[in-house]
Amino acid sequence: MLNYRRTLRWMLLPYLMGTVILIVIPAIVTLILAFTQYDLLSPPSWYGFNNFRDLAQFDDILPRAMLNSLLFVLLAVPLRILGALALALFLEHRRRGVGLYRTAVYLPTLIPDVAYALIWLWVFNPIYGPLNQVLEAIGIEGPGWLTDARFALPAIVLMSVFQIGEGFVVLLAGLHNIPRDYYDVAAVDGGTGWQKFRYITFPLLRPWLILLTLRDVLLTTQNTFTPAYIMTGGDPYYATMFLPLHIYKETFEDFRYGSGATMTVLMICGVSVILITVFVVLKGWRNQNAYD
Amino acid sequence: MRMIRRIRTISYHLAAILVSSVSVIAMIWVISASLRQPGLPPPPVIEWIPNPISWSNYQRAFELIPLGQYLLNSLLVIGMAIPLTLVTASWAGFAMAQFTQGTQNRLILLAIILLMIPVTSLWLARFVLFSRLGWIDTIWAIIAPAMMGSSPLFILLFYWTFRRIPKELYESAVLDGAMAIQIWRVIAMPLAKPTIVTVMVLTFILYWSDFISPLLYIKSTEKYTLSVGLQMLQQLDRSNWPLLMAASVVMITPIVLLFGLIQRYFWSEKGIFNNL
Repeated sequence: MLNYRRTLRWMLLPYLMGTVILIVIPAIVTLILAFTQYDLLSPPSWYGFNNFRDLAQFDDILPRAMLNSLLFVLLAVPLRILGALALALFLEHRRRGVGLYRTAVYLPTLIPDVAYALIWLWVFNPIYGPLNQVLEAIGIEGPGWLTDARFALPAIVLMSVFQIGEGFVVLLAGLHNIPRDYYDVAAVDGGTGWQKFRYITFPLLRPWLILLTLRDVLLTTQNTFTPAYIMTGGDPYYATMFLPLHIYKETFEDFRYGSGATMTVLMICGVSVILITVFVVLKGWRNQNAYD
Repeated sequence: MRMIRRIRTISYHLAAILVSSVSVIAMIWVISASLRQPGLPPPPVIEWIPNPISWSNYQRAFELIPLGQYLLNSLLVIGMAIPLTLVTASWAGFAMAQFTQGTQNRLILLAIILLMIPVTSLWLARFVLFSRLGWIDTIWAIIAPAMMGSSPLFILLFYWTFRRIPKELYESAVLDGAMAIQIWRVIAMPLAKPTIVTVMVLTFILYWSDFISPLLYIKSTEKYTLSVGLQMLQQLDRSNWPLLMAASVVMITPIVLLFGLIQRYFWSEKGIFNNL
């Protein structure tokens, strides 16, 4: 029996080792490199807080990238979560054809990032792209989308709103976990659809929604990389320059691993601040609700 | 009464069909664009079915860049990543399911934290680490995450599956003197077939779609995977939309077909995600 327990621990080991090698050690390395100058050829040299100072003084793009990333999260996350919730509620019940509808909703999430970016690059093409052609057919003159500084970021938000399969699946599971009896009791008491949602579905779904929102903040900050890299390169006028792309350019195009690490640390701090804010707001909202 | 129900059913299906169409509309446009005869000027108004239908863009995409080679490279990555992932993830899930409740909860928390880690924050340090290990420009840099089961989600999927197997089944086998590995192989894994298939498909999709790892870690063009190859094609011919869309369809099709295999488990009430 003792032997058995020991073997079990060995079976967990690859996963834990992998976590240490691929996540814990890189996290520590990043934190150390943030205070050095490093080009990967010669050994890193200690630079103290100077990276932070240099970035604050000389990097004009960084504040723009931070602002864009923040704006993107603020626009995309609520839309994505509400979209996933609405679709999960709509396609919750078992009916004929529901599997097909769910698959259709999930499909855009399956598409590889590069192909997805290329597809939307074409959809957003100002002249030949299908989106503007459809708009024209109904009498609207579509904007230049990715070439127009006002529309480039909203365009990337728009394409991200189609990839909400993960939240959809999680919320479907959450809905299925709500015991049927609750609804039956509510039906006997003559509860309306809205009341059922307000007093049964929503409160029981809330932990899922909180977790999803937190994960989505993280996902959307990072998922800007491939669209920005493939579709716009950060243009026009840095309207789609997001933090991951800026870090990529600093690190892998300009070979400044030190200040790249510094930006990474700044990004993590920024994301943490957003996460904590979101968490506190969503929690507080729950306490407030408890009194009514 | 029956009339009202009828109308409700019909409007439900109409709404659902509308939602589904909006969701997949971009893909329909892509397929249609990929079948457009090369050389023709782009259509002035929206074109749902090209006239004439032409398959030559697909052929041309394979000629212009070694797409066939990249396809093989991608399949090689996947062929190595899937068995590795299956073993590490199912081992971890199997062990997790048999620890004390406290340990189980701590490991669930760990998996959730790992799911929350922004991967972009690890690029730089992983690159430094992999160059020290001599893994840059090798397949190891791409399949490294398979060491830890590729995704914490896969470990959770196996954990939920194995937790549902009655404890007595394991315990009687242990009393008979079976080793943990034997129990995993003979009892646990055969009972986890839907989960195995699901994790295999999801792993396939993960590595097939992975763009950032090959972009960062692979230097020689002959070692490129499909996703980087697709980006290379874009750089070669930026405005040849039929060609680019054809290559995109090549990249999307296998994934859609594979998802068809597991959608049953995905959407069933007893499905794998119902333990979340």
